[in-house]
Amino acid sequence: MASAPTTARSRPSTYPVWFFLPAAIIYSALFLAPTFASLYFSLTRWTLFNSVFIGFENFAQFFREPFLIQGLMNTVMYAVVTSSLKVVLGMGLALLLTSNIIARGYLRSVVFFPVLVSTVGVGITFTVLMHPTQGMINQGLALIGIKGPGWLTDPRLALYSVALVDVWKGVGLATVIYIAGLVAIPRDYYEAARIDGATAWQNFWHVTLPLSRPATATVITLSFIGGLRTFDLIWAMTKGGPGFASDTVASVIYKQYQAGFYGLSTAGNVVLFVLIGIIVVPLTMFLNRKQGHE
Amino acid sequence: MAGLEFKALHKTYGSVPVIKGVDLSVDHGEFVVFVGPSGCGKSTLLRMIAGLEDITSGELWIGDKLCNDVEPRDRGIAMVFQSYALYPHMTVYDNVGFGLKLARTDKAERDRKIRDAARILQMEALLDRKPSQLSGGQRQRVAIGRAIVRQPEVFLFDEPLSNLDAALRVDMRMELAKLHQDLGATMIYVTHDQVEAMTLADKIVVLNGGVVQQVGAPIDLYQRPANLFVAGFIGSPKMNFAEVTVQSIDGTMATVTSKDISSVSVAADTSRMSVGDTLTLGVRPHHLTLDASGTLVGGVSLVERLGNETNVSLKLPSGATWLVVLDGDHNLRGSQALQLAVDSSTVVLFDKTGQSLLAPR
Repeated sequence: MASAPTTARSRPSTYPVWFFLPAAIIYSALFLAPTFASLYFSLTRWTLFNSVFIGFENFAQFFREPFLIQGLMNTVMYAVVTSSLKVVLGMGLALLLTSNIIARGYLRSVVFFPVLVSTVGVGITFTVLMHPTQGMINQGLALIGIKGPGWLTDPRLALYSVALVDVWKGVGLATVIYIAGLVAIPRDYYEAARIDGATAWQNFWHVTLPLSRPATATVITLSFIGGLRTFDLIWAMTKGGPGFASDTVASVIYKQYQAGFYGLSTAGNVVLFVLIGIIVVPLTMFLNRKQGHE
Repeated sequence: MAGLEFKALHKTYGSVPVIKGVDLSVDHGEFVVFVGPSGCGKSTLLRMIAGLEDITSGELWIGDKLCNDVEPRDRGIAMVFQSYALYPHMTVYDNVGFGLKLARTDKAERDRKIRDAARILQMEALLDRKPSQLSGGQRQRVAIGRAIVRQPEVFLFDEPLSNLDAALRVDMRMELAKLHQDLGATMIYVTHDQVEAMTLADKIVVLNGGVVQQVGAPIDLYQRPANLFVAGFIGSPKMNFAEVTVQSIDGTMATVTSKDISSVSVAADTSRMSVGDTLTLGVRPHHLTLDASGTLVGGVSLVERLGNETNVSLKLPSGATWLVVLDGDHNLRGSQALQLAVDSSTVVLFDKTGQSLLAPR
């Protein structure tokens, strides 16, 4: 009796492979091949039409880039700021939007709406709004007697101004993830805590926060990866400026592409890929460590 | 130390009434079981005691305190939930001590109480585990431990055994009975399982449609059901019913007949019936015995042999099906004709409105 299934297991059927094959071919053509090709081209002097193998010369040159260190620091800072704010604001908005407030459904749509808007469109709009003299933000501040800063023109502020816009645009997604996490917490936990005499704050601290950890892990992971590879909003709003003040690794790479250094910029992309892996893999493992959840 | 008093308790959700005027008195130390079918309002009533549901009207007294508007934490109650509601991120120790921590109980005192509860429930070895590392029975113990450390005056249990398998349910039932004996606290227990109700309760409250059908000791409810609903709900297997006609009345004895039963004399409240009335006769499956001179005849349609007893589905001449539980093992064949005697001292008559016509004691 037992021998038949064992034999079947030792020779897996080829039948399921036929179902897997189309997806595998598409994935290989669109993802695996370009990834391995870029690994190769990062080791060449590449003009798009021909390439000459030069070993790790591109990587050495990339790390000699004068503004790379600042770009790296900006990238990490940008990822930390945007993901932290998305966690805090996303959780806050989700708590609000799962409570019994009026027009809850409408407000959920309002919060999610910016996620649907084109990033470049948002960038251009906020560039206008953040204009130091004619922007609506500074004009509004002037009405109450505050002289607004140069949001995008002050080198100390530019990166954080873009980060704020990124948060405005992305917090809707974080909120939706948190809403899904919060509504999945069984009501019994809150009722048990209520009988034990928990205040609203104790409810949040001892029940909501720990039990929404899977949602927090998802929000942090997604927004951190998004922050590390940010490019479109930076490019639409500051082009890495003023000077190189808001350059990120991705904008540095793009500038090298523009200058025609294709091999060099591909090496930069490989570096960015490794950087994201080094930061995000342990972060995800930490966030998703087993906590006795059922 | 506290008993409870409900005075005309009502609960409505919008315009839908769920609890329709419950009056009940629970003495201190009593084990009271609310029992009834799904949707009868038993859990809602329990949650009203806990303070998790508002009281629409009426009064709820716990001890000598009117508790209608008292916060759950100040009612002197503890509740064990059907789902156990153990926090998955906390160890057993932290789960049990959570309420004490919120109440800012001194750490040493807290530790003592947690370990005391663990000792009572024999779960000292589990204190460092997370809920996911526990079996269903162990989780149940932890949930009870969490209630014990609060030293409440009233324990509330909301179907606490319904997630356990049958064997474990029997064990936990006995442990709960022992716990009640040891602690001597008032316990209110909700279940839809009438066996749990019969075995645990000092007093059973049978609910249906938000109305109390009968309150009494388990054996009273079994032997002297107030109406058809209680008669059908209490007792397993269910009571058999048949429409009968009153043939004669002699003092407190009424003789009834039907298509299926030639004649049975029943002690009843004969002042509420007259000859020719149509009544309902209730006979428990255990109160029918094989007897060649019996008044009930039917054909076997299904047999379940359990070893110590035999459950028989009996097709009666009227087309009705009755269940018979015979002591011991009987090797019966399908369609075999059986003649059975009805133990007339245990049968109950019900009037047209479903109220029982039991003779006054």
